[in-house]
Amino acid sequence: MPFGASIPSPPPTYLVHHHACWFQVSNKCWIHNGLSGFVPAKRRAMVLPLRASFWDSIKSGFLKNNNSTQVVEPPSTFMEEEDPFPQDIVLLEKTQPDGTFEQIIFSSAGDVDVYDVQALCDKVGWPRRPLTKIAASLKNSYLVATLHLICRSPGTEGIDQKQLIGMARATSDHAFNATIWDVLVDPSYQGQGLGKALVEQLIRVLLQRDIGNITLFADNKVMDFYKNLGFEADPEGIKGMFWYPRY
Amino acid sequence: MQSHGVLLPLRGPSSSLTLSRHLRRQLPPTSFHSSKTPTRPRSLLLPVASAAFTVSDGELETRGFRVRRSTDGLDVAALNDVFTRVGFPRRDPDRLRRALDHGGGGAVVWVEEAKRGGRPGKPVAFARATGDGVFNAVVWDVVVEPSLQGMGLGRAVMERIVAELRRKGVSNIALYAEPRVVGFYRPLGFATDPDGIRGMVYSRRNQKKR
Repeated sequence: MPFGASIPSPPPTYLVHHHACWFQVSNKCWIHNGLSGFVPAKRRAMVLPLRASFWDSIKSGFLKNNNSTQVVEPPSTFMEEEDPFPQDIVLLEKTQPDGTFEQIIFSSAGDVDVYDVQALCDKVGWPRRPLTKIAASLKNSYLVATLHLICRSPGTEGIDQKQLIGMARATSDHAFNATIWDVLVDPSYQGQGLGKALVEQLIRVLLQRDIGNITLFADNKVMDFYKNLGFEADPEGIKGMFWYPRY
Repeated sequence: MQSHGVLLPLRGPSSSLTLSRHLRRQLPPTSFHSSKTPTRPRSLLLPVASAAFTVSDGELETRGFRVRRSTDGLDVAALNDVFTRVGFPRRDPDRLRRALDHGGGGAVVWVEEAKRGGRPGKPVAFARATGDGVFNAVVWDVVVEPSLQGMGLGRAVMERIVAELRRKGVSNIALYAEPRVVGFYRPLGFATDPDGIRGMVYSRRNQKKR
């Protein structure tokens, strides 16, 4: 059972130049490889396959210059023949000198493995939390957003590696307010604007779902990060308060 | 935007309700990255919920108020009326219903003005919380019918919603308070900006242009 919100995705307000279709083949989950069909997923992960036409466009267009990193900006027009519910967005694409093709993908689907979440929390130095609680917190979150790094090595017949490198989640009443918690980026991938993209996309999805009041709590070290994303501390003097935060 | 409406600070006898140190639960210190949970050790014993209330459920009953801990029987239109009387902009009733239906991971506590014959009464005090049910919760829409303020009903719902959340195991309980009601929440155990952690709100007009 996928974690995260169980609400249906709303129609998007803009198109990404490629999209992802959700499907599941029998009870197993398969990763669609654009080159050679399906390969079994390692864990029970619903990975979105990207359409064949996308791979064609990648091969013919985007990889004209090898070793170039493409920043993928979603176009602003909506093309009707595309899937109306794109949940995945490619933020970065890059071909390594050795031919490995990499993508960093944002997803609002909340498809995330608790073990991967725990590993990510370990990497950023958080104290361990029980897996059952992590699972419950994801399940009860209105929105769980992830950043995954997808690597496809040449000559491995297209077996994709998928690694969780960022996550953020929001709780909400599904109507008025949302609160963002646990914004994490793998330290190895920090400093590239991925945290910014993660939060921006999370905000975009919340606004698309008409959640008008987006809130969070931030310490001094990250206050400027959120200010630059459009957050204001103590608006109109309204103070964040916590119950017995100090002994 | 704020977690409550215009609420007069509660008067009346000062309460001795502060959880004494030895009753608070001890957890190992935690440090979290952005969107923060404050660092806070606690003592080992949890207070028994009912022992911690300034005014018990039974006492409220004798005064004609019934404590409710779910949205069953809640008159949404009447609640919306209370919201407008405390100064919230009028909410869309369907959205309000949706918000009330999605309290999973959170909690809701309200006080019903008891009617004779057991008929459902109107809400006169209310608080709800959103959250993930294990780590974090945020309390919203704390209101007391203006004509009934100053009697301890706001305190009553707050004590109980905190107890509900604690009972579920949630230890990080936050809210957003207008400056004039910060003093209402302090004696209930809430502190502003612990460890320098501040509440932030997104505003489209604050967005920097790319």
